[in-house]
Amino acid sequence: MTVVDPIRTPVLTARGLSKSFPGVVALDGVDLDLFPGEVNALVGENGAGKSTLIKIMSGLYRPDSGELRVGGEPVPAAPAAAHAAGIATIHQDHNLVPNMSVAENILLGHWPARHGFVSKATQIERASRALAMVAPHIRPGTLARRLSPAEGQLVEIARALSENSRVLIMDEPTTSLSGPEIERLFGIVRELKSRGMAIVFVSHWLEEVFAIADRVTVLRDGHMIGTRPASDLTEADVIRMMVGRDVEALDVPPRPVGDVVLDVQGITRAGVLDNVSFSVRAGEIVTLAGLVGAGRSEVVNAIFGVDPRDSGTVTVNGKPVRPNNPIAAIEAGIGYVPEDRRGQGLVGQLSVAENLTLASFHEISSGGFVRGARVRTIVERARSAMRIRMASPEVPVSTLSGGNQQKVVIGRWLARAPRVLILDEPTKGVDVGAKAEIGDIIVGLAKQGVAILLVSSEMPEVIGFSDRILVMRAGRIVREVDRASKSPETVMQYATMGQGAAL
Amino acid sequence: MTLESADKPNGPATGGRTEAGSLRVLELIQSLGLLSVILLCGIALTVATPVFLTTLNITNLLFAATIIAVVAIGQAFVILVAGIDLSVGAVLALSSVLCVGLNMHYDVPVAVSVLAALAVGALIGLVNGLAVTALRVPALIATLAMMSVVRGAAYLYSGGQNLAPVPDIFVDIQMTRLFGIPVVILFTLLLALAAHILLTRTTFGRSIYATGGNPVAARLAGIPTARVVVAAYVISGFMAALGGLMITARLEAGAATAGVGMELTVISAVVIGGISLFGGEGKIWGVLLGVLLLGLVQNAVNLLRVPPNWDYIVSGLVIAIAAALDVYRRRYVEAGLVRRTQRKGR
Repeated sequence: MTVVDPIRTPVLTARGLSKSFPGVVALDGVDLDLFPGEVNALVGENGAGKSTLIKIMSGLYRPDSGELRVGGEPVPAAPAAAHAAGIATIHQDHNLVPNMSVAENILLGHWPARHGFVSKATQIERASRALAMVAPHIRPGTLARRLSPAEGQLVEIARALSENSRVLIMDEPTTSLSGPEIERLFGIVRELKSRGMAIVFVSHWLEEVFAIADRVTVLRDGHMIGTRPASDLTEADVIRMMVGRDVEALDVPPRPVGDVVLDVQGITRAGVLDNVSFSVRAGEIVTLAGLVGAGRSEVVNAIFGVDPRDSGTVTVNGKPVRPNNPIAAIEAGIGYVPEDRRGQGLVGQLSVAENLTLASFHEISSGGFVRGARVRTIVERARSAMRIRMASPEVPVSTLSGGNQQKVVIGRWLARAPRVLILDEPTKGVDVGAKAEIGDIIVGLAKQGVAILLVSSEMPEVIGFSDRILVMRAGRIVREVDRASKSPETVMQYATMGQGAAL
Repeated sequence: MTLESADKPNGPATGGRTEAGSLRVLELIQSLGLLSVILLCGIALTVATPVFLTTLNITNLLFAATIIAVVAIGQAFVILVAGIDLSVGAVLALSSVLCVGLNMHYDVPVAVSVLAALAVGALIGLVNGLAVTALRVPALIATLAMMSVVRGAAYLYSGGQNLAPVPDIFVDIQMTRLFGIPVVILFTLLLALAAHILLTRTTFGRSIYATGGNPVAARLAGIPTARVVVAAYVISGFMAALGGLMITARLEAGAATAGVGMELTVISAVVIGGISLFGGEGKIWGVLLGVLLLGLVQNAVNLLRVPPNWDYIVSGLVIAIAAALDVYRRRYVEAGLVRRTQRKGR
């Protein structure tokens, strides 16, 4: 590892970068220096502000305050300006047009043309030049959809880099790569580094971070926690920096717990889930923890019958639940609050009342006709139990605030008195007040004997609510953490253990 | 954007009733937009030609509109679940030749031939629905193919001839009036009312709006979305077959050539009537207004003796203008609606 000389001039300096979105401060006064010839790993929990910082550096977001300079010159907030200043970005999702050639992809939108006619020769020549640095073995004429994920990644790097690139930002570049492919990618990263490029490397895998990084920068809740030489740090240090906030006085006391209600045995889905087994008792709150992509939502989708499963059984109160069928899951007594409220939870055009009763047609109708009085009873009960704030039950649900929308999705299941309630990121995108209220609702349900299965990326929630925590990684439950031993550090440690690490 | 900024707890629910009331007023204005266009057209026509505002002309206009209206009501169900049914014109023709032909060739009672025609329409809808849900064929392609097959079947069955005479009851129903109004018109209004009640008052109607509005959320709430979509196509097929019976009465013949290009008129009427092509939004009485506007335009073209071939162009322009006006008006009303509820919500 190269030791970075602090006297060298940084190629990129960020000072006091702040960015807020409605209801959340994503980045708060962040400073960052990048030096030529270093790999700076950017780490932090989900929602720590990594993506926001990257998007500001690549010109996609305009910061509310603060400034960004490259080589001492201020960089205007526009992708073209950032690129011109020498900042190249490889975004997380793959951005190749599958039915275009590698050359067309590399020159996407800037095809060499004369009077609208593309000059193939020039295109091939320019693409080859771009490929020469990172992937000379890829032919420019190949269709992008024939590339492996690793090759696609290299093409994206070739596209991002230009002759004057000085900073390369890589947002989770290893997610879809195999071990040897990661090694090869690291080789290219080191090669670019040796040419004086400053590289920002974002990864959830601390093993990878320590394998490649010269310095490690930790963000937490939008704040810069610090940048330290990797050689001065251990994985434990980094985890502590990532989670070390004052975990608020959120500690739900234990309740009397009943018999097993939800029992999941050996759920497997090729390439997604690997032999997932666990159970939840009446009145118990069990949390699936892990990083984004660890397979938590996939587990609940398989239980609720949204996704197919190759094998494994789900039983509620000892009775098996038919797979691939949400209706069977609902009839068995499972309620499901999905992660994507607007996309999966609510029908935006329908009213609050209609959304609240969407799963209770049997309860609100007779002979197929909706009975207004029954609807009003259910709506009123939900409104007062959960303090849903709305102008009227007749307004479109899309006009409610995020927290109140979430209460509507939860309230939909209360009308059915579920035995099991699955909540996937129930407090995502809601403000602090509503967060607390939703937490109260969840605990209240557990006290009534509902078996609660929670998926959460919010560490205080995971630690505060759970009677047991199931830590997931790469489609498997890697560790069960009980009440006595639960701590943010333990959870993060198992969640971030490298892909190949033994248990 | 406006929705994003609503991530704050709403204020106390004061004035809920008046807010709901003013929402209803906004909805009313929304539909009045179309109504006022219709009234303006009517006034212009009254001024332009003395023939327009006569009992005979108005009755003719409404009579002609009934068939489009019935088929459009069925189509509305399909568009509400974010589908489309291009086979309706062909189904109408097949139904027309079947109800006359079965009676003529096989000497079955009229009631049986009529029920058979309706059943065939519903069956075609069932096949459309299964193709779209179970086989996942895009609705546009599935019903386009069906349109061709069914039209061919109608020609085959009739041998390309108009089948006549029709049973007497077809002629009689056409002539019957109740309170001075032709029963066909009353029957159409009754159907519209039934469809309206089905959509607004029943759990099936809720399922239609939820499936069209957000199929994922509907499925996760336990609504059998595939079955709901199939049901919508069955209704459309059935209503198109019913339209076939009505056109048979009007032409006094079973005609395999009936309803060519009708699917486009019907879809235009539904969309002008405010049913979103993206599904989940719109009301049946809007569809009736859409049908009425198109009928008015056709009537105007006839009365004002627009030279042949120009009438297509005129109709097309009117549809385009009406649809564009509707989109703009709706955008304004909607923007106002969201602003109001949010301001109130703070």
